[in-house]
Amino acid sequence: MPHRVFAMSVTKGSPDFGAVTNFEDGEATIALRGTMTQGAAFVLEAILDAAIDRQPASMVLDVAELDFLGVAELLTISNAEKRLAISGVTLTLRSPSALVNRLLGIMELAEVSRRERALPEHGHLGPEQLGDRGALSERFASSLSAEDLRRVTALPADPDVIDGALRLIVELARISIGGADGVSVSLLRHGVLSTVAASDQTIMAMDADQYSTGQGPCVDASITGHWFHAESLDTETRWPAFTPQARGLGIKAILSSPLRVFDKPVGALNIYSRKAESFEVKDQESAAVFARQASVILSDSRADVSDTQMAFRFQEALRSRKVISLAEGVIMEREGIDEEDAFSALLRLALSEGVPLRERAEAMVLSAKQPELGPEWELDD
Amino acid sequence: MIERGRSPLDVLDTYRQEAGLSHGELWLRYFELGGMSTGFDVEAFLYGMLAPSDHDHDVIAQALNERFKELGGDHPVPYATV
Repeated sequence: MPHRVFAMSVTKGSPDFGAVTNFEDGEATIALRGTMTQGAAFVLEAILDAAIDRQPASMVLDVAELDFLGVAELLTISNAEKRLAISGVTLTLRSPSALVNRLLGIMELAEVSRRERALPEHGHLGPEQLGDRGALSERFASSLSAEDLRRVTALPADPDVIDGALRLIVELARISIGGADGVSVSLLRHGVLSTVAASDQTIMAMDADQYSTGQGPCVDASITGHWFHAESLDTETRWPAFTPQARGLGIKAILSSPLRVFDKPVGALNIYSRKAESFEVKDQESAAVFARQASVILSDSRADVSDTQMAFRFQEALRSRKVISLAEGVIMEREGIDEEDAFSALLRLALSEGVPLRERAEAMVLSAKQPELGPEWELDD
Repeated sequence: MIERGRSPLDVLDTYRQEAGLSHGELWLRYFELGGMSTGFDVEAFLYGMLAPSDHDHDVIAQALNERFKELGGDHPVPYATV
């Protein structure tokens, strides 16, 4: 008989989350649901501590109902996992959604990139060091292979969740890329470039200065889809209207990596440094990886990138639907059958002729039209 | 007819992965062919969590098969009514 020891639901503004802890045969199962960001880490830490204090033989975090979690919450889970590991208890993650998996994957990237930088060995990781280093457990990391990441492609199209994921990328890029004093993501939405996530107000102002002058690596990367690296703004000549403003805010180097959706540039991941020549090749590579992750999130979500290409694809889709529906109408009238049977009939025709369904539908609509259109539509042999 | 015994509903998502389509991209192709279900429902069909109607199954199968054809392949996904 499961024994429920802790159940709560917290609402902070619109995003809310809940946690229910159950104990059964020495196994603690904590089911999390909702959106865990902005202070949820403290509540989560208390919940995990309470469960760990009961010395379970094993612990399961059920995150099937969890929509989103921020970097502080990821670190909290990572810390709990470490504490449990000391007493030989394993922490298992159950049914993460595609998004949570993606977030863990991004976290892993940040972790790998930090490990590659060969930081000195650290002692105990306390919450006071949260912003300083990301530590995701080996188990979480190893449970997500690169293959898994490629397969995980579904994301809810909720713009809030997308922006949250982009904010997480900004935060992780800032703590894991050497020389990064500030990071932002710019996105073209409805044809206008704007900042959807930034690590602080200076960075926000940096981006805004680029939009208003129409100059800068961020603008150029977003429009051309190429990366731009301003190694030292003291000697930079490419953006004369913008560079003095950046220098005025103490920025000395900028690295902008393009974000692409369906191969079209839609924005940029911008990394700012107060020191000139601070981005090494390794940092540039890390930036490219984070930019790619952001691009994947945007592509998968069909987010409001409001790209002309997306608009075009939808137009095409609607045109295709219309022609297929017209062809079904022709068959329905001819055969006296319903719409779904008409679709099957059309499908059989397309398959027997080895042509795509839309093409077969177009041919059918055209042939049905011809008698009405008169002789001028007949082709000369 | 699709072979119910082999539980082809479970493998629909495997076909999607082989076809290299994201869920969003497959849904758009399904929508293009006249599909009426939401992206959420289509995902549930792919994972076998919801059983599609024969019609829905065939629209998804055709979307996948047309993709396989683009890639120079055959029509590996079985239909329900054809």
